[in-house]
Amino acid sequence: MPAKLILIRLVEAFFALLLMSLVVFLLSRITGDPVALLLGDNATEADKVAMIRELGLDQSLAAQYWHFLANALQGDFGRSVAAGREPALDLVLSRLPASLSLAAVALASTMLVGIVLGVLAAVTHGTAADVGIRLIALIGQSVPSFWLGIVLIYLVAVQWGLLPTSGYGGPAHYVLPAATLGLFTLAAITRLVRASMLDALGSEYVKLARIKGISEAAVIWRHALSNSLIPVVTFMGTFFATMITGAVVVETVFAWPGIGRLAYESILSRDFPVIQAVVLVITALFILANLLVDFLYLAIDPRMREKG
Amino acid sequence: MTISLTGGFRAALFASTMIGAVATSSLAFADGDTLTIAIPTFSDQTMVPWAGSGQRKTYLDLVYDYLVYLDADGNTEPGLAESWEMTNEGKTWTFHIRQGVPFSGGWGEVTAADVKYSIERLIADDSRAGPASTMRRVIDTVETPDDYTVVVNLKAPDFLLDKGYFGEAQQLGIVSKAYVEKVGEVAATAAPVGTGPYVVEKSVDGSEIDMALRDDIEPGSHWRVNPEFANVVFRAVPEEATRVAMLRAGEADIAPVGFDSIPGLKDAGIRIVSAEKTWSPVIRLGGVVQTDEKRYNPDVPWSDVRVRQALNYAIDKQTIIDELFQGEGVVANGDTPVQAWNDVPPYPYDPDKAKELLAEAGYPDGFNMTLKTFTTTPGAELPLMAEAAALYWADVGIKATIEPGDWPAIRSEWTSGEALDFAFTHRGFPFPNPENGVEAGFSNRSLFASFTSEELEGMLAALASETDPKARTEKLTGIGQYLRDQAAAVFMVLANEPYGVGPHVGDWGITTSYVYNFDQVGRAD
Repeated sequence: MPAKLILIRLVEAFFALLLMSLVVFLLSRITGDPVALLLGDNATEADKVAMIRELGLDQSLAAQYWHFLANALQGDFGRSVAAGREPALDLVLSRLPASLSLAAVALASTMLVGIVLGVLAAVTHGTAADVGIRLIALIGQSVPSFWLGIVLIYLVAVQWGLLPTSGYGGPAHYVLPAATLGLFTLAAITRLVRASMLDALGSEYVKLARIKGISEAAVIWRHALSNSLIPVVTFMGTFFATMITGAVVVETVFAWPGIGRLAYESILSRDFPVIQAVVLVITALFILANLLVDFLYLAIDPRMREKG
Repeated sequence: MTISLTGGFRAALFASTMIGAVATSSLAFADGDTLTIAIPTFSDQTMVPWAGSGQRKTYLDLVYDYLVYLDADGNTEPGLAESWEMTNEGKTWTFHIRQGVPFSGGWGEVTAADVKYSIERLIADDSRAGPASTMRRVIDTVETPDDYTVVVNLKAPDFLLDKGYFGEAQQLGIVSKAYVEKVGEVAATAAPVGTGPYVVEKSVDGSEIDMALRDDIEPGSHWRVNPEFANVVFRAVPEEATRVAMLRAGEADIAPVGFDSIPGLKDAGIRIVSAEKTWSPVIRLGGVVQTDEKRYNPDVPWSDVRVRQALNYAIDKQTIIDELFQGEGVVANGDTPVQAWNDVPPYPYDPDKAKELLAEAGYPDGFNMTLKTFTTTPGAELPLMAEAAALYWADVGIKATIEPGDWPAIRSEWTSGEALDFAFTHRGFPFPNPENGVEAGFSNRSLFASFTSEELEGMLAALASETDPKARTEKLTGIGQYLRDQAAAVFMVLANEPYGVGPHVGDWGITTSYVYNFDQVGRAD
């Protein structure tokens, strides 16, 4: 039965990608093309016509889309019109490690801290510590990341001199962008874990564990937490999506050379092949993350396996 | 409970200690041998001159040399061309190439064949260089009668080819023909070979370009320049606030900054070096292409010269300069800074005169208009400038609706070839050859032109056929005065471009547009 589920998910993923390819193809063409940018200020009508022909923009939209789709299915997303004709997919893939590593660090650290904070808030329910943690969560979900990034740069890097302001390099370079990228998710995880833990701590099996004389630490961290993490796993795909979409802002503020910034730059230059490649790669990442979550869910929740 | 809290505290303490240790171990501050320059963009980060825009000159100018250089006053100086002459009434240019200048990496010395290849590659159909399409129209053939002579035959006269398309402010960096042909363009763009003082050691896409002084020539023996920094690192930092933070944290030595940041940087001990009049905020008025029926829109109020003049008189530009640009600029007398226009007077602030002109033109109660705007670098101030202009216009009855957009969208619409009915805030740049600038903004041939007239076409034709340099300058001045009198745009500011400069840097300045002199940055004592 899981095999059937996997097949359904894969078919859904294919159609989601297909739909997304059409959406990004049309949206990217709504507000002009790269021709005006590539031509010099003294360009004439003849220069413009020649450039349009060279870029294949003289064909109908349907023909352009069909051409793009046929090539994309073979892994050819075309060549960047701005970046020296480099294959668009190569450009995206070269930037992908920077984004994925940042998202991974941000997600892992926020999971760790968020779970700890969520548990602490639950076990100190109603105390000042609980209120403080909930306040942090509220701020985390309210603060815009571009503002937070700038504030962190000025405090931590400029005023205190503890970390580099920006750039892509060693472990120190990850701290501020990962913190900025992860704060929103941290808040969500904290709230989620707190709510789940409160349910779990009031459940019969936890009461039974306490009656059996199991230590409070083991009750909290082993028995209650293991069941409370299931909702967190459910939202992992969403959290990952938040990381990737948030990367557009965070990568710009921290001069991080990932696909978020590449997306921003290619939109500014109306570099259609790169826009299409970057959006489809991000879409594929979303789908892949959600597929993994589905499979993980099957693995950790016996009820799901039984339902098939 | 107590146990878990204590454990958590310990874990947090341990984690923060580890983070602190990792952080402090890899902080990278600017050091004495390395010059770090933070710029908003690398553009496409390709390394051969024809593969992308002129924005790459910030870093490519350290790798490639040009045929002709410009002094602080914009006069030509010998470069890889030791001398040159113009004959055949501006249609033939002969360049005599400097002998004994080696390419990096052991790729031989510069010859006429390299120059011919560089020119032909820059104007090839697939070239992405900004001036490629125009140069293609101008250049006919390139000949090499001997190893050190290049003859360029033009389709039409160009009396300023040396200062313009072939000068250091443009993109004609000289490449090694043998190298590019041997390794192919993909490899050549990854590891460029030129005759400049630096070579690219590392290039991280979208992040960093590290350069080092060439080790194949003796220190101090480069034919053109004697750089004082062994290494130059360029970092792409799009966010202005981050560049400012880098300057303050000592991570960058030079970075372009916004006008708003100047007071804070000065307070923090960061020096400001301004490139004077290197860009010009201007409001272009669409649809006044009077020589093209398709692009001319007689229905816009500003098709009447009195309305265009009123739009100019109505704005207190000096106050805008003082408030928005921190005084870094002067009131504009044209759409770009042109030396020959120095005596052309700008429009004074005179709202009464503006009202009078509007009434004469049949708009005593003003009119409604659309003003589009966008932000760019330099040019973060354009939307605020649009708002300021709209407020001043409101005082004389003109109601401008501001529409924020982005440059690609506005530029596509502007060059659509249709009759336009809106205005937009533009960022003009001085052209190395000012005649090209006039043609771009005001010639019927140019798709970008927003104002043309039969009279102006005649003046441009007369300028094109004039061979005497002094008479050419006079004709150019006449064109500037005409454009001013016709109020061909709302001329706003000839603005400076401020750079924050850190304590490691001694002498450095930008005297000519598009020429950044990063290989001539001095070290502080």
